[in-house]
Amino acid sequence: MITAIFALLVLAGVCFGYRLWIGPTVVDRVIAVDGLLVTGVAALVVEAVRTGVGAFVPVAVVASLVGFVSTSVVARYVEARDRQPLEPEGPGFASGTGRRSQR
Amino acid sequence: MIASEIVILVGAVLIVLASLGVVRFNDTLARTHALIKASSLGIVLVLVGGSFVVGKAGDSAMLLLAAVFQVLTVPVSGHLIGRAVYRSRDISARVDTIDELADH
Repeated sequence: MITAIFALLVLAGVCFGYRLWIGPTVVDRVIAVDGLLVTGVAALVVEAVRTGVGAFVPVAVVASLVGFVSTSVVARYVEARDRQPLEPEGPGFASGTGRRSQR
Repeated sequence: MIASEIVILVGAVLIVLASLGVVRFNDTLARTHALIKASSLGIVLVLVGGSFVVGKAGDSAMLLLAAVFQVLTVPVSGHLIGRAVYRSRDISARVDTIDELADH
């Protein structure tokens, strides 16, 4: 059963890697990296279960926290990059962009 | 112990379903949705199932701590990602029905 779990995790890693490869936007690549991190943590736990050695178990805690920090930082970066410029070019700029004009 | 391995297997299946959703869905918000929901439950099941069978008590407590951190952080990061997609102009955040965030 451990082998089946590893095979499933390899399949998940291949799928996330494919989305990381083709992902059209930066957000797709970010969620692909997040999924790869989740897959890696799961593989780490399964390896600890298989061998009975818990030396790498703290990596699961650290990886979850670091993954949260990296994801939120990239989300802030995407928001700040796509925010409107400080000085709009002319009249109608704020009304022409629809729902994002509230920013 | 066979029960915890079954729990880990269910978690791995959920992670695979999340990855299939990330590959197959054709919208950035849909892909975010697939990853956040499915993989958060999947990794929590893997961590809890692993905490039953790993050797020492400290290791299982640390796996449960990792599960708690996942539960706390994954919805927040998913919300941040979804908000970034919605507010960015060059990513298609297509909403099929009523856009309830239109005036926010």
